[in-house]
Amino acid sequence: MSSFNSLDTKDLLLKVTSIPGPSGYEDEVLEEIKNVMKDYSDECFKTAMGSLVCVKKGKGPKIGFFAHADQIAFLVTKIYEDGFIRLSGVGGWDPKVIASQKVWVHTKSGKLRGIVGFMPPHLQTTEESKKVPDYDHLFVDVTMNSNWKDISIGDLVTVDTKGFVNGDIVFAPALDNRASCVAIIKAAELLWKMNIDAEVYYVFSTQEEIGGPGAKSAAYISEIEYGIVIDVTHGDEDIPGFPKIKIGDGPAICVGPVTNRKFVEHIKSVAAKYNIKTQIEAIPGRSGTDTDDVQLTRIGVKTGLVSIPQKYMHNPYEKLCAKDVEDTAKLLAFSAAELQ
Amino acid sequence: MFTFLKELTEIKGPSGFEDDVREYIKSKIKDKVDEVFEDRMGNLIALKKGKKGGKKILLDAHMDEVGFMVTNINDDGTLSFAPLGGVDVRVILSKKVLVGKDVTGIIGYKAAHLQHGEDYARVPKYSELKIDIGASSKSEAEKKVAIGDPVSFTTEYEEVGDYIIAKALDDRCGCSILMDLINDGIETNCDVYFAFTVQEETGLRGPAIVAEQLNADMAIAVETTTSGDDPELEKQLWSTHLGNGPAITFMHSGYVVSKAIFDKLVETARQNNIPFQYKMRTVGGTNARRYASTGIPAGVVSTPARYIHSPVSEVRKDDYKHAFKLLKAFLESE
Repeated sequence: MSSFNSLDTKDLLLKVTSIPGPSGYEDEVLEEIKNVMKDYSDECFKTAMGSLVCVKKGKGPKIGFFAHADQIAFLVTKIYEDGFIRLSGVGGWDPKVIASQKVWVHTKSGKLRGIVGFMPPHLQTTEESKKVPDYDHLFVDVTMNSNWKDISIGDLVTVDTKGFVNGDIVFAPALDNRASCVAIIKAAELLWKMNIDAEVYYVFSTQEEIGGPGAKSAAYISEIEYGIVIDVTHGDEDIPGFPKIKIGDGPAICVGPVTNRKFVEHIKSVAAKYNIKTQIEAIPGRSGTDTDDVQLTRIGVKTGLVSIPQKYMHNPYEKLCAKDVEDTAKLLAFSAAELQ
Repeated sequence: MFTFLKELTEIKGPSGFEDDVREYIKSKIKDKVDEVFEDRMGNLIALKKGKKGGKKILLDAHMDEVGFMVTNINDDGTLSFAPLGGVDVRVILSKKVLVGKDVTGIIGYKAAHLQHGEDYARVPKYSELKIDIGASSKSEAEKKVAIGDPVSFTTEYEEVGDYIIAKALDDRCGCSILMDLINDGIETNCDVYFAFTVQEETGLRGPAIVAEQLNADMAIAVETTTSGDDPELEKQLWSTHLGNGPAITFMHSGYVVSKAIFDKLVETARQNNIPFQYKMRTVGGTNARRYASTGIPAGVVSTPARYIHSPVSEVRKDDYKHAFKLLKAFLESE
């Protein structure tokens, strides 16, 4: 039995966000996910691109749930002789949120502590006090490690923030997109107890943050007819011309050309039937998620996109509501269960 | 040595809210000093009498740290806030904070995807930032926090090699050295006053009332100072360098250090083979200025630190040890 069986959604969220898994380096986090998922699937395998696929066998239509497991990170680009390094982002960081964070530098001899240093106000010139932090000026202090010379150009760097919970609200790193991984895990847990027709593929994919091939290649292998991609979307933000997606009001169902209209109607009807609170997100054109690629796999996949509302996306602390994750899990499980 | 530093740095005590720091220090030193009292502003003053009762020397370390204060509770449940002391807005984005005694939250910052053009390319203002405690409305937030509540960083203390990484090293490091001096049972001829002061970061306010209460002959501000020894500053602009020993100040903002005290500190370091460095920038001020202006000649001894006034600062243990040794030798020679 896995160690997660007694854990609730919030514990699961804190656990899977505590493991660094930058694009291309998802093995450790996928191993943890596999440890949980093996209890809820007939088979688990890794694709050539490193994605984890877990299968619940069935005789009916094939459906896949896709969540990318990678997160944005940094690479070491320069090493100074006195124990300082420079970085560049892997994925869409705002360099402004990195100053004064603790980081881990992942070297061949293990992870080393780093501090993204920042000049105290006392020493700044007026000009310096107005500069926007960027990669040319941000630096990481690694002098405290006696073996900092083990650091190589190209080593990965991750921000070291620890998630925490206030009521139903979770603040944690990498909720984009580990929250969706948790939603799939919870859906698998629900489906394992149900007798359904569909064959379900749970896909925890790699390299989404850099637009990589993780999800599409997994969709190719599994030859699915239906696919639901789970990702995060901006919650509690005013976006001109669109209704505000609210944190705590349930997952947002995407309507737009990257999704299949009939299948989206199916998802909506499931939400209505099982009383699951959802919101609608109109995405005219590409979504910027794995949905865009999954739809075009093999002879085409009937896609849906379900997004968990999230604030502060791509910051060292992201925010969402645990109940939205649970509602997403229910929506996924019943969307598969109701497929004939 | 270092007995108290972990706990000292993890206690929250922004300027004006030093109570928990004071209670902690008091509980640890009260049995090891001859007198201890708290004054009207909250400064904690302890006396350790000398053998012959000669000179009266005051050692000062400030208990407060930079932080923030809640200035408004907004309709959406977020909190507006303003800094207590000098905190660069660029070091606070996406940091975990503690509001009041027990409410955690983060200083939120808009996702990069939603910042457009000019907004992305400028430094935000304090008035634009909000603390998010997970409350979804004003009334929900009001049940947990109030306008005027203090806000602190939450960084946990960490030792890596010879380095200490923590919040509030400025100036809990100084408080810790004073406590270690008390704890190690120094033998002096002079009377030593240990003043753990309030509100340094908001304008050297605590020590302003100390001189009237004590008849000290001289004061030493035991501080934690800037370094700047990183790739962003040319070497000639460094203030201090970690690992070169405690910094002795000859002048800083608004005060030329008493030549007699400065010379005595340098001489003591040399005689005892204690490594030291001069503080090479004259920016920033310390409580020495306040003591001098209230009639007590004062000097400054500092542990060099990187990234002070941010959630994550850093000192070296050997610099701390040498600062301790220098002060001990100084007191014992008086």
